[in-house]
Amino acid sequence: MKGTLNDQSLIYRQIAQLLEDGILRGEYPADTQVPSTNELARAFNINPATAAKGINRLVDEGLLYKRRGIGMFVAPGAAEALRQKRRENFAKTQVKAFVREAKRLGLTQQELYSLVKAQAQEEQLP
Amino acid sequence: MTTITKAPAPQPLQADKLCKNYGKQPVLQDLDLTFEPGRIYGLIGRNGAGKTTLLGILSGQNYATGGRALYGGQPVWENSAVLGNLHFAREMSAASELAGLSVKNFLRAGRLFCPYWDQNYADELIKKFELPNKMINRLSRGQMSMVSITAALASRAPVTLLDEPTAGLDVVARERFYRILLDEYQRTGRTFVISTHIIEEAASVFEKVVILDEGKEVADQNTEDLVEQFRYISGPAAELDAALAERGITPLQTQVLGGHKMVAVRGEEALFEELAARDGLTVEGMNLQNVFVALCGHGDEEG
Repeated sequence: MKGTLNDQSLIYRQIAQLLEDGILRGEYPADTQVPSTNELARAFNINPATAAKGINRLVDEGLLYKRRGIGMFVAPGAAEALRQKRRENFAKTQVKAFVREAKRLGLTQQELYSLVKAQAQEEQLP
Repeated sequence: MTTITKAPAPQPLQADKLCKNYGKQPVLQDLDLTFEPGRIYGLIGRNGAGKTTLLGILSGQNYATGGRALYGGQPVWENSAVLGNLHFAREMSAASELAGLSVKNFLRAGRLFCPYWDQNYADELIKKFELPNKMINRLSRGQMSMVSITAALASRAPVTLLDEPTAGLDVVARERFYRILLDEYQRTGRTFVISTHIIEEAASVFEKVVILDEGKEVADQNTEDLVEQFRYISGPAAELDAALAERGITPLQTQVLGGHKMVAVRGEEALFEELAARDGLTVEGMNLQNVFVALCGHGDEEG
């Protein structure tokens, strides 16, 4: 797992996000075990209850499941569900903020589209 | 060979309508608090807010003017049946009579005072903190802090109260302390109550926080649940004022820079989403330190 925590957003959300990122990148395929509460607490120097809250958030969303006495595992289809969730979030928050900034800068719709298009080509989006 | 008596599970520690005056000066006012067993609490407040006094009374080392400290429902004051369960670590003074002892001798004396003392653990911590075996009054301030931290941890007391344990420590030693604390907590599930004003780096260690302001409790909550109730809202002053007035919100803290204004607000997720949806307004999260300043700064952050 990569990444460090910052103090600008709630720790349990950052833990949830870290695990989500790992699932999306394919570091934790379906039915593999994710780090335990204690491992996360030790790795990031955080209270284990907070680490557990981050994990439970993913359990509540059906992305992780518990094997009693063993640990937490990635649910089948978790990566796809996450991609869907992030797409919705992307439209709702990031695109909105992005367009608002364009508005503040006085860009026209045409100018904005051509900027996006150029970047999309550079990144070779299909 | 010494034998270690296994410490019992922690019980709740309570302040029951606790009051304390020094002369006519009220220091603690009608405090009702419960420190639940097996959690790490942060106790935060400004200088003079009453943190040390509260910890002293909770551990039976100071007496209350009114109300009581209770451990497992029993009064703490002069009650030898419960006092062995509580350890209060405070900053050591080079002038104290114990400061003439060497670090090792001082820590060997721990078993005389602490029923669950773990000498092996004390020895291990001396190594981890790289403490030299000098007389205590020859140590640096940070090293003295490490000695009282070592005594507190090795006491294996079910409830351990630490008053500003990190005050004299450099950043490396502070990180090491919190790591050791979390290891011990995961191993034993002891209750820890830690006062500090180096807040932000400790925030992730505290499951719960109690905030004192002028002897009164202003917050007693799960750390992240508390932080989640606060946001900075900023934008053009006129728009921001209108949005706040519409909803009858009184900001906790205000900062004005020309025509731009930023306020600290306490509220719910729905309110923050509403404000964020307004054109021109920006909503940003806070950290525990920001929340503390918003609650205890009395609105006086410079304009």
